Amino acid sequence: MKWFHTWVGLIVGWVLFFMFLTGTLGYFYQEITRWMEPERPFIEHKISNEALLDIAQAYLIKNAQGVDEWDIMLPNARDQNLRVGWRKPPEPGKKRGKYQQTVLDIKTGDSVESRATGGGRLLYRMHYRLHYLSTKISYWIVGFCSMLMLLAVITGVVIHKKIFTDFFTFRAKKGLLGWLDIHNVLSVIALPFHFMITYSGLLFFLFTYMVLSTNLQMSEDEYSEMRKEIFPRSAHLESVNQPKEMLAISHLYQQVKNTWHTGELNYVEVFAAGDINAQARFVRHETDITYNPEDEVMVSAVTGEIILQKPKEYTVTGMIHNGFFSLHEGHFAGSITRWVYFITGLIGTAMIASGLILWTTKRKPKQLKNPNGPDFGYRLVEQLNIGTIVGLPIAIAMYFYANRLLPLEMANRLNWEANVMFISWATLLLYPAFRPAPKAWYEQLNLAAFVYMALPVVNALTTDKHLLNSISKQDWTLVAFDLTLFAIGSFFAFAAYKYQALTFEKKPIKKVINPRDVIADESLLPLRPMNKENG
Amino acid sequence: MSTFINYLNLSSARWPVFSRALAATFGGYALAIASSLLISQLLMQVTGKYQAIHIGLILTFLVYACAAMWVFSVKTAKKAWLGLLKSIFFCLTVTWLLGKITGVAN
Repeated sequence: MKWFHTWVGLIVGWVLFFMFLTGTLGYFYQEITRWMEPERPFIEHKISNEALLDIAQAYLIKNAQGVDEWDIMLPNARDQNLRVGWRKPPEPGKKRGKYQQTVLDIKTGDSVESRATGGGRLLYRMHYRLHYLSTKISYWIVGFCSMLMLLAVITGVVIHKKIFTDFFTFRAKKGLLGWLDIHNVLSVIALPFHFMITYSGLLFFLFTYMVLSTNLQMSEDEYSEMRKEIFPRSAHLESVNQPKEMLAISHLYQQVKNTWHTGELNYVEVFAAGDINAQARFVRHETDITYNPEDEVMVSAVTGEIILQKPKEYTVTGMIHNGFFSLHEGHFAGSITRWVYFITGLIGTAMIASGLILWTTKRKPKQLKNPNGPDFGYRLVEQLNIGTIVGLPIAIAMYFYANRLLPLEMANRLNWEANVMFISWATLLLYPAFRPAPKAWYEQLNLAAFVYMALPVVNALTTDKHLLNSISKQDWTLVAFDLTLFAIGSFFAFAAYKYQALTFEKKPIKKVINPRDVIADESLLPLRPMNKENG
Repeated sequence: MSTFINYLNLSSARWPVFSRALAATFGGYALAIASSLLISQLLMQVTGKYQAIHIGLILTFLVYACAAMWVFSVKTAKKAWLGLLKSIFFCLTVTWLLGKITGVAN
């Protein structure tokens, strides 16, 4: 089983690392997009929801003519700008029109023209929609990798008989044992998260992966009926082409405030705008992992009366399924829970990284004795480790650099941001092939420290959304973003310093170790000395 | 031809592992599908058709994972293949029989 755990983890470890890291960034995708669109204005304090709704409605009446579905997203803790969105009428031959979204400048009431960027959305979508591959192929690759992840989690628990004692064991200065302990701690500390995120990730594409089963058991109509039962939607009236002037949305909001007894509001959806059937659905922040019908209120936009709606009905299995989605995406999470999600995601990422490093650390002594030098497989794993574990974070930083430094009027700018990221990653994957492994580790760690620490500086040189301004405007999302970049840079700098201290200066100490101590130590281990069975 | 066979080195320790990997990937998948059919047939009367099918589907990943682990824990690759085929056959037969008894076409 130990053998199985090792190879299941190794075979797709680097893809899993990519999925975990980009997926973890997804918990802050709105914040990332906010940072990547520096043309947006700073946060506006002390403006009422009513005033915001008026600005949005005025803009939509002027600019979204002939469209009958509007969205108004109010500023919140994650995104300090007022945004509006609408779906354009479908082009001939297409079922649905294109969805358009824009940020509004509260002072002028006009839309803000931002640079072309993929933002946080493109970055987090990579974790299941591998950037250059087609949708179908991505889903199957991601599914295969997730399945192996699930196996790695389960076998990891099975081989770990002393799961709780080991949790408190940490032998930092012992090389291999140190990495084993780190791997164990990172795995155990967030075990429920690792299992949840993997299983729910698989559930996202359940009907794609298990299509054979549904095809065998039901007709197409039955299938779509079942999907409606699992993912119920709230109903709303359609336009009947009888124009009628709507009340002000801010006026309707008074009714909603009375129902909720608070002034909170997340977004408003307007259906059949400008029609006799016009309705507005007011939605506040999701507070429940499962569904809470009181989070939304529907109001007639013509009469101003609250429309009582039948709550969506979930089946038990539908509740479980949607509950898993909710846990995976964490929409219900407030600021603190969101940071917990982010850090837990990073723990998962680090768990995969430590597992990969453990593989090479364990084989290192034997490989170094090899008269022809380490064999191909060992060198490949080591190179992929360096190029991915340190290389991918650098590549993500390059995505941010591209956002700031590519010319604004560049053709295909959005695509080139991502291209820059993948070209950087490819370069960093190749680089370790031409350097001795310890040097490559050390140099890339230093590079990572440098690129992350320099990012806030480049931000200050290229935009007005830098730390000084964002602190004085109390725009905490932007402040947190720059500080986080700096913290990541410091972390890499510390890692580089530690790596240097342990690798390059430790050599004379190593010789002093008494062989008998080593043997005494190994008897304490869950890990037996290497042989063919558990190698 | 013979050089090709020599090149493949069929007596190498790699082939049983490869065979097990195939068994775990494809045999495990087939067993997961078969188990979903059986589970939904078992629950059909209790929860109604859609929920029964849904439960069967949700559990497929666990069945798949257990099957893959089992494939790598038995003594030989041959045993693993036989075990998988037997389990798939069992699931399908019981599903078919239950369908006959209850009269619900699956």
